[in-house]
Amino acid sequence: MLRNALRKDLLLNARHLWGILPWFVWVAYAMSEPDAGRITAVGAAFVGALMATTIAAREDKLRTSATLASLPVRRRTLVQARYVVSYVVGAVTYLVVAAMAAVLPWSVQRAAELFEVKTLLLTATLASTAIALLMPVVLRFGLLGVLVFLGAFQVVGVVLFVAADFFAARSGARLFFGTIERGVVALYSGLGQAGPIVETALIVSLSVWLSFRLSVFLAERRDL
Amino acid sequence: MTPEYALELRGVRKTYRGFALKDVSFTLPRGHIGGLIGPNGSGKTTIIKLIMNLIRREAGEIRVFGLDNREAEIEVKSRIGFVYDVPGFWDDQSLDSQRRALGAFYPRWSDDTFHRLAREFALPLDKKYKALSHGAKSKFALAMALSHGADLLIMDEPTAGLDPVFRRELLKRLSALLQDEGKSILFSTHITSDLERVADVITFIRSGEIVFSLTRDDLLDGWAIVRGEEQVIRELDPRLLRGMRHRAFGVEALVSDGGAARRVVGSRAVVDRVTLDEVMVLMAGDHAHAA
Repeated sequence: MLRNALRKDLLLNARHLWGILPWFVWVAYAMSEPDAGRITAVGAAFVGALMATTIAAREDKLRTSATLASLPVRRRTLVQARYVVSYVVGAVTYLVVAAMAAVLPWSVQRAAELFEVKTLLLTATLASTAIALLMPVVLRFGLLGVLVFLGAFQVVGVVLFVAADFFAARSGARLFFGTIERGVVALYSGLGQAGPIVETALIVSLSVWLSFRLSVFLAERRDL
Repeated sequence: MTPEYALELRGVRKTYRGFALKDVSFTLPRGHIGGLIGPNGSGKTTIIKLIMNLIRREAGEIRVFGLDNREAEIEVKSRIGFVYDVPGFWDDQSLDSQRRALGAFYPRWSDDTFHRLAREFALPLDKKYKALSHGAKSKFALAMALSHGADLLIMDEPTAGLDPVFRRELLKRLSALLQDEGKSILFSTHITSDLERVADVITFIRSGEIVFSLTRDDLLDGWAIVRGEEQVIRELDPRLLRGMRHRAFGVEALVSDGGAARRVVGSRAVVDRVTLDEVMVLMAGDHAHAA
C-alpha cells in the first residue's frame, strides 16, 4: 500500500514538483561563484523537500483529499508516503545540483565536495527540520496552513527589521539572524566529529518521529 | 453467515457548530437501492461522509456488510464504490494517469471494465481532468466507482449536472447492477423522480434527524395527500398527519395512511396518491409533523 501511495504522489503531483525547476536556473548561476556551490546544494535539497511537503496543500486545494481518504488505504500510510516523497525529492534535488556541479563548464564547485559526510549530514538535518516542522501543519490545515506557516516567518522577519529601524535596535535583529547563521556554521563544524554527529542524528530522528506521530494523529482526526 | 444488511447505521451522532446529526439509524438490505432525501443542509452528505469515515462519528455504530467501517476500514472501502457530490480529482492530470494511480489501490480493480465504461461514457482518457465538462467529470467519477467490483455503491448527488438522457441511462445501469450482480446502492439526490424510478427504500432526513425510512411501495402506495377544507382535514387522526400547507382552495395534508384518511373524509375531500416531491415539500415545510 505504501508503494501505491508513493506512486500516486509522484504520478499525480509531478507537475507540482516541477515547480522546483526555476531554482536550478539560480543554481546554474551560483555554480560560477566561489563558495556558493555547497550552500546552493544544501539549499536545493531544503527547497525540494519543502516543495514535496506542500503536496498535501495542493491536494487540499483540488479537493482530492476526500477522494484519497475514500480509497482503501489507511491515512497513516498516506502520511508515511508524504514523508518518504519529501525525502526522495530532497535527495533527487541534491543529486541534480551535484550533477550540475560536475557538468557545467563554468562551475567552480567540485562535485566530490558535495558528497563529504559533513555536507550530507547538514543537508539531511536542514531538510528534516523543514519536513518535520511543516508536514503536520500542511496535513492538518492544508493550503491555509502553508500560507499561515510561511507567512508567519515573513511577518516575524518584517517585524524584526521594522523594530530595528524604529527602536534603533538593529543590533537585536543582527543578533537574531547572526545566532541562526552561527548555529548553522557551528552545526556544520560539529558534524565532523563523532559525538555531535550522534547527538544531531538522535535529535533529528526524534524530531521527525514526533512530527510523523503528530501528523498521523492530526490526519486521522481531520474531517474532510 | 452472510450479513442481512449492506449498510446499518445505529444511533450515529455528529455535531458541528449550528448543526447536529441526532441518533441516526437506518438500514439498507443487501441487493437493494436506497435513496436518501431531504432539504439542503439536512445532513445527507454528513451521513455519507460518516459511512466513508471521511469525518469522525461521535457516537453510534456504522456497519457495512456486517463490518465496522472504522475497524475494518480497508476491507470496507475496497467494497464501496464512492461518488462524491463534487468529485475531487487532479486537474492537471489526464484521466488515464488518474486511473493508473488510483486503480492500483483496489484489489479487484478491472482495467477492462474501466475502458469499457470510458468508451460508453465517451470519456477522452488522454485529456486533462480540468478540460472536461461538469457532466463528463461526473461520468469519470462514476466510471472509477464502477470499475473495482464494489458490492456497495454510495453516491452523493450522482445525477446532479447530468443531462436527462444520461441520467436515465445511469439509473437503468444502476438497476441492472442490482439485478445482474446483486450489488447494493445508496444515493442521495434532490431529483426525486430518479428515486421514484429505481429506489427500493427511501430514507428522509430533516434537520439531522431521520424522519422515516420506508420501502418505496409502503411510502407511495400507503401515504396520501388529502386536499380539502381545513375543518375536514382537522378531523383526521393527528397521528397520521405528517405535514400540512395552506393553499388557495383550502388545505393540503400529507398523511401516512391513505386508506384511513379516505374512511374519515369520505367525499368531503380529495385523497390522492403521493409523489416524493410532495413528501419533500410538505415534510420540509413549516407545518411538518414529526413521524
